[in-house]
Amino acid sequence: MWYIWDLSILLSALSLVIMLFLIARRVLQERRGRAQIDQRRQLHTALIAFTENRDREALKVVLLAVPAGVAINAGFEFISLLRGEEYDDVLAAFDECGLPALVGKQLENGNSAERMHAAEMLAALRSENAVASLLSALDRDRSREVRIAAAIALCDLGSLPPLDIALGKVGVAGQRSRRLIELFRRFPPARFEELRDHAARTDAIPFIRAAAIDALAHAAGFHFADFFARATGDQSPEVAAAALRALGLTGHAEAPAILASAMANGDWDVRAAAADAAGRLGLAGLAAPLSALMDDEAWTVRYAAANALRSFGQPGERLLRDIAASEVSRSQRTASLILAEGPAA
Amino acid sequence: MMSDWSHEIVLAASILSWFIIGAGLAQTTIYLLQLIIAAYALSRRPPVARSALLWHRYGDVAPPIALLVPAYNEEVNVVESVHSMLALEYPNFEVIVINDGSKDQTLQRLIEAFKLVKFRRPYEEALAHEPIRGLYSSPMTERLFVVDKENGGKADAQNAGINVCRAPLFCVIDGDSILEPDALMRAAQPFIDDPERTIAVGGTIRIANGSRIEAGRVREIHLSNRLLPLLQVVEYLRAFLMARLAWSRINTLMLVSGAFGMFRRTEVVAVGGFTKGSMGEDLDLVIKLHRHMRDAGRKYRIQFIPEPVCWTEAPETLGVLARQRTRWQRGALECFFRYRSMLFNPRYGRVGFLGFGHILVVDVLGPVAEVLGYILIPAFWLIGILSTEYLLAFTSLIFTYGVCVSVCSLVLEEAELQRFPRARDLAVLTAVAVIENFGYRQLNNFWRVKGWWQYLRGNQGWGEMTRTGLTGAKK
Repeated sequence: MWYIWDLSILLSALSLVIMLFLIARRVLQERRGRAQIDQRRQLHTALIAFTENRDREALKVVLLAVPAGVAINAGFEFISLLRGEEYDDVLAAFDECGLPALVGKQLENGNSAERMHAAEMLAALRSENAVASLLSALDRDRSREVRIAAAIALCDLGSLPPLDIALGKVGVAGQRSRRLIELFRRFPPARFEELRDHAARTDAIPFIRAAAIDALAHAAGFHFADFFARATGDQSPEVAAAALRALGLTGHAEAPAILASAMANGDWDVRAAAADAAGRLGLAGLAAPLSALMDDEAWTVRYAAANALRSFGQPGERLLRDIAASEVSRSQRTASLILAEGPAA
Repeated sequence: MMSDWSHEIVLAASILSWFIIGAGLAQTTIYLLQLIIAAYALSRRPPVARSALLWHRYGDVAPPIALLVPAYNEEVNVVESVHSMLALEYPNFEVIVINDGSKDQTLQRLIEAFKLVKFRRPYEEALAHEPIRGLYSSPMTERLFVVDKENGGKADAQNAGINVCRAPLFCVIDGDSILEPDALMRAAQPFIDDPERTIAVGGTIRIANGSRIEAGRVREIHLSNRLLPLLQVVEYLRAFLMARLAWSRINTLMLVSGAFGMFRRTEVVAVGGFTKGSMGEDLDLVIKLHRHMRDAGRKYRIQFIPEPVCWTEAPETLGVLARQRTRWQRGALECFFRYRSMLFNPRYGRVGFLGFGHILVVDVLGPVAEVLGYILIPAFWLIGILSTEYLLAFTSLIFTYGVCVSVCSLVLEEAELQRFPRARDLAVLTAVAVIENFGYRQLNNFWRVKGWWQYLRGNQGWGEMTRTGLTGAKK
């Protein structure tokens, strides 16, 4: 029993000593924090002055006089406000003061939050060694969030490795992240084919394939409509639904037949996407299958179908009113609700 | 004959003492384990300091969120609270205030402040709740909807909100709480990083008593100058930063606070929403989610992340605090016994063993064993049945390990998060972390045993929660 007592005294004494040390550290940090606020102010003043007079030497003096951490963070915040020639001039001054190299070190040695931020800063600083540092992070960093940030930064710098390789380096677990949607949205048009090829791969992760289709639909439009039409028949409901949403944006000659078939799909997400696409494309010829979908077991599908009918204008509204006036059923209730939507009388 | 009896009494006292000390040891071991796991979790996922960075990083891919705010007799604060919620920094969200049959002017205040008009909005009646009297929208903002319904309690109001909302994620928050402007963005992060598996995320609840609050925002963080809120600051720190972070790391988180939690709507609807009439509706929901996902054999994550902060008002009087704590205890017992088949059930893996084991040791047995210990161990020692060794072991488990655990959670906070703005605050909290073990802890356990008693007697009342209102905090 004695060891319980002895250990407790030791542990509580130790925790108190550590806490006292942390309090002392905080006192020092408070003093340093006040100094840093002044230094940030100095740097911002110098940067504003630089955008007016372009006196690079004066800016360098201030940059070198403040601690590296202050220079990096305040500098990054400031350049996000600049564009064009001003932006390039400030970057050149940063480069001469060695800031990108410091950010590169942060990408190697910081904690995961700092490394992620460093990857983003390197993309903005566009230094000579940025691509090499980012490729190294994509290749070796132990955090998948950092690897994704590195991939996005490389994409911004136009140096992302082939997509399959980049995604392989991000790792399987990372390929569930919605951050990859952002990566795909930043893809340069010259590499859209790569996105399409990845979206077509049946062995790839459905979430990623769906994200690639969404990105293509928004960025490339009708150019990939045939591909979207084919993908609507995909085994994966997630991919099929994404392809239907894409088709709803681009349209396609075969769209009525494709959507009618998708409305009978076993997955509610696919049926809802098909109904939604029919509404977007204004395919009034699909009124009959849409009316049938208003009796669907899933509310989302019923709602999408009713909305699609409503989007057809007067013919659709007339149909909805007919359904609403019919015998009490799921369709009747859905139609009544949709017709009543809006400010109450 | 007498000597036989005394031998048996000593044996019985020793067994009882061993049970009490064993329960204390189990509890202390769990706490120390949580500390280690929480420290590891924080080191693996350091916080992002600036919210502007989060917006830059996640703004384009952030999923839509519905903020559900049940309000019952909140006429004093409701307008200011809603204003502050509408000003949150998130790209795509709607605020749904559910007026749960308030007897005061809550609805009228909202109608006047936001020029609300009756509105019809189709929604799926997926969850049962008391009838809705009307839906209101505001011409001033597209983000605000008010649901006026008959009184049915907090869980019932939340279920009505879940039915009406259209976003794939919803966030529940108490009507009298204040979210930090970036709280939604931070809480949504796991849903962005791992959207397929993440089904619920909890954030930190912090105590606002003493802080300067203006226009529904915490402008300056200060500690309260009253002891009771200070004690609760340390308590909350231990509960959130240590316990929840640790269990979240190993996917065994059993509680996402009803005062601030984000959930995926589909899964919550699949488990029937919040259980109406439950004393611990938040604990109940999370247990149901665990059970549902494990029964379905699906991979999932229920996470706690420490950075998103929701400010709340802590009770400042012993009477109100006692009612709150007995209610929490009844909630924990109710959930434990309702889902007792999950305890140590291999089908539920670590949730059954660690999660339910934790509730068993800390919430079910813990208070009873500790209160028994306060009475019996010194008594046994005084009448000479028990040696000093036992007394010291018990004392160390109650007092010195308690100091260690409380101070270590403060160490964790300061080493990784540094959310208390001044060194002076840390010094005050360190002192509070020590003294809370001498009196407050014992009082708390007494309330919990009282909660046990009320549970056994079937007392289901919530008790009056008198609040001064966060706007009444330091100005």
